Amino acid sequence: MNRAGGLLATLILGGGAAMLPAQSGIRLTPMGRAVVLATHANPIPFGGALTEVRVVQPIFILGARALGGHLLGTATLDFESVTMPGGELTPGAWGEGFVDRRHPHTTVHELNVAAVDLLGRLDGRGRLGVVVGKGFVPFGTDDPMSRPISRYPVNHHLSQILERAIAVVQYDIGRLTFEGALFNGDEPERPGQWPLLRKGDGTWRFGDSWSARVTMRPVKGLEVQGSRATAHSPEHRPGAGGDAVKSSASLRWRDTRQWGERYLMAEWARTSELDGFFVFHSWLAEGMVRRGRWAASYRYELTDRPEEERLVDPFRTRRPHFENSNLGIGRWSLHTLHLGADVLKSGAPVNVAVFLEGTLGGVTKRDAAIFDPVALYGTSVVRQLSAGVSFDWRMRGHRMGRYGVLDAMHIDPAGHDMMEHQ
Amino acid sequence: MRHGWLTLSTLLVVLGCSTGTDANSSVTITASTGHLQTGVVGTALAAPLSVKAVDGLGAALPGITIDWSVESGGGTVSPASSTTGTNGLATATLTLGSAAGTQTVRAMLRGSSKSVLFTETAQLALLINTLAGNNQNGTVGLPLGTQLRVQVLENGVAVSPPRTVLWTVGSGGGTLASGSSVTDAAGVASMSFTLGATVGAQSVVATVQGTASNVTFNFTAFAASNNPVLVATVPVPANYGHHDTFVRDGIAFVLAWNTGLLIYDVGNGIRGGSPTNPVLISSLVTNANGVSGGAQVHNAWWFQNPNTGEKKYLFVGQEGPGSVGSASSGDIHIVDVSNLAAPVEVGFVHVNGAGTHNFWMDEQRQVLYAAYYNGGVIAVDVSGTLSGDMSSRIIATAKPGGAGNTYVWGVMLANGTLYATDMLSGFWALDPITLTTKGGGNNVPERYGSDQWVVGPWAYSGGWGTRGGVRGNAVKVWSLGVAGGNPVLVDSIIVPNITTVSDVAVTPDGKALVITAEGGSGGAGLYVYDRVDPRRPALRGVVFVAQGIHTGEIAVINGRTYVFAARDPANPALLIYDITAVVP
Repeated sequence: MNRAGGLLATLILGGGAAMLPAQSGIRLTPMGRAVVLATHANPIPFGGALTEVRVVQPIFILGARALGGHLLGTATLDFESVTMPGGELTPGAWGEGFVDRRHPHTTVHELNVAAVDLLGRLDGRGRLGVVVGKGFVPFGTDDPMSRPISRYPVNHHLSQILERAIAVVQYDIGRLTFEGALFNGDEPERPGQWPLLRKGDGTWRFGDSWSARVTMRPVKGLEVQGSRATAHSPEHRPGAGGDAVKSSASLRWRDTRQWGERYLMAEWARTSELDGFFVFHSWLAEGMVRRGRWAASYRYELTDRPEEERLVDPFRTRRPHFENSNLGIGRWSLHTLHLGADVLKSGAPVNVAVFLEGTLGGVTKRDAAIFDPVALYGTSVVRQLSAGVSFDWRMRGHRMGRYGVLDAMHIDPAGHDMMEHQ
Repeated sequence: MRHGWLTLSTLLVVLGCSTGTDANSSVTITASTGHLQTGVVGTALAAPLSVKAVDGLGAALPGITIDWSVESGGGTVSPASSTTGTNGLATATLTLGSAAGTQTVRAMLRGSSKSVLFTETAQLALLINTLAGNNQNGTVGLPLGTQLRVQVLENGVAVSPPRTVLWTVGSGGGTLASGSSVTDAAGVASMSFTLGATVGAQSVVATVQGTASNVTFNFTAFAASNNPVLVATVPVPANYGHHDTFVRDGIAFVLAWNTGLLIYDVGNGIRGGSPTNPVLISSLVTNANGVSGGAQVHNAWWFQNPNTGEKKYLFVGQEGPGSVGSASSGDIHIVDVSNLAAPVEVGFVHVNGAGTHNFWMDEQRQVLYAAYYNGGVIAVDVSGTLSGDMSSRIIATAKPGGAGNTYVWGVMLANGTLYATDMLSGFWALDPITLTTKGGGNNVPERYGSDQWVVGPWAYSGGWGTRGGVRGNAVKVWSLGVAGGNPVLVDSIIVPNITTVSDVAVTPDGKALVITAEGGSGGAGLYVYDRVDPRRPALRGVVFVAQGIHTGEIAVINGRTYVFAARDPANPALLIYDITAVVP
């Protein structure tokens, strides 16, 4: 076996991490995930039901560590543009021109580098970090892809800001982490699109939006965060839209034991658009207990969704939207239960699990505009049932969207540790 | 000959001929006509059943009695017996029974066991009629404006359970959206058709599957050269884009959202511009007036006062954020365009809790009418000097659909009546002085409304978005009875593959109806219909624009008719089309 083959074998079979030749000082950690999912949704727009089978969340992540952990890199490829170009059937989901289907993510989902502890001993226990590249803005909670329930919540676009060009400054000291970021306000219009850094007229899109997040860890396993962001014209790439002012607060607790783990998360998020003309709220709580090979998770969310004019394809909305396309605000109240079992022995590099996931809830109109769930769906009751098989390659415990000083390897002893398992 | 003998032998066997040694042992009977027919249940078969009696040498035998009886199917055969004539033939008529399927009749040689069995097929009494889409005109290679619709009836009642209708191209080529469609609860099946390349007559045949019931649609296809011709493209900054254009005296006011108002010479002469070469004269970003989102310049009307000769004021509509059906924002901005090279904003009109949309004017009376979405319709006195807050000049307001059922898109004054299209409550006729209701209203319950145009005793209105699963892909045709009368819905034009008819207008000569279409997958663009029959405009030309066309302003410049079209984002632009040849 040649050297490249040996490296590949080590990457795949040897616990998922490998060291390049010693002189390079670089450790690479690959990870991956894919879910084969059959989903039945009832209702769908304009009544009826639909069942689909898709491969969702097919990703490959390559983490890199160099200079003794002072230089980190994250690259994530997402292949949803291939496996689900028309989106994932998900009643209540919205964003990037999709509605009642979760949009496919951009192919290059994350690509960034982070410098950690730039001041070394000069600031004592403090660690200053910088992250640049593409990825998640320091705002809100973890991406749903790295949470226990496969179904994306309705609040994805209220509680996360993703796929942006980011420049983040972090400072971590003791139980506190402060983050501030500049980014481009525009969200992607299609999976192959890169963030718009500079417009044709020479003005910058990068930097027209900002975020700040404070994360506190009062006791082991418990994390509290508050964040705020202003995203300029997220749904109009050239920048003619208004600002989305976003707030988030959350509490997260994770406890790992010999017998398994427990997880709880509760969040509140608010987005105000056009100086408060449109305001969307979300409350969400979810929890998970894993014991041995079995896992049970539950989520409840109450989330407002902008209800927009649909195109001939009732799962699509106009992007950029134009003039008055808002039909009102729907309030989605959904319970989701997830039951799963590991098929392969826990601790294997590749974890295979089967699961059943059911969502039951309803949607109501929150204002006097013309959106009427019964007219649109034929009912106000939302039902979704999914069965899936997930393939995780060292993904369990990974927290997507946390970079630099917040990378799990440094601060979360209960979290996923990419390096120390070597 | 060998082949013919075999065939006859086979037929004799199949028909069950007997060869017994009875009194008529030398007589042979065979089926002559009427075997293997298909007919409608309960009706007589088209051809009589007949058998031929011959002797052993094959000579016809007259005077032979044949007894006829129904073996299966429950029909009736008449007469019960008949006698062969000099040609050896005896006949009878079968009236099929009520059950669909195979029905049989036996012809028996009297005094013998020899017989012939006739097997027939009975079908349900299905009638297929054209409901819509027949006798349309269109352009070769383009979709017809109205879907083809048939109704299948069984004994006069909508067929149940659903039946499949097969669609085939009859003549002229063309493409059907599918080869079949299924009837709904009303027995109606629909199909879209794109004309073939043949100029002249084309046709499509719809057949009820498994039956001979069919109907033919006939069309006339015009040459593609009739399509609108793009003569100029003027990019507009994507800020959001271009919403509307107001053209008068060879001046085009381009309403370009947060880029503001752009004034072009398109034939006036002051800057040497023309429709093929628009020349920018000036621009102005009107005030945001505290409305979130900025200037949001949407529409305009250049007021040319016939009483004073002034051409001083341009009214500019600002379309701020809104939620369809309940909320809107944005003011009317008053711009002094006495000097087209240096427009100046001088005043505004504000309505609390509502925002403006499209305008019309009674210039003689110096009254501006403005659609105001959830604010209904307002009338503003714009006589004299206009400056500052002109909200006190509002002289009348109305919410034609009532509170909670009013979201007015547009207004138009014609023949002494102010017509208003309400997205929620339909097409209204209002008194232009008091704005009280004269007629109409609550007359398009299945769709959200959009724009309108009134010409003589006819009016046309568009649809928007999707309401309860029904797309706004219709142009409603209204009869007003007399000019200025109340609207009565008489017909619709369905535009395939779109969700919204966003603008409706008729050329000054009344010959052509022009609409713009959005929200589609392949159908968005600019459509031009002739008005030879005002009740049934016929598609004569179309240009598809992927992003959609938001508005189309008609203007006649130097004897040619143009449409100033606003192309939607992304890549917004003013597109200028020459439609002179579309409807000559």
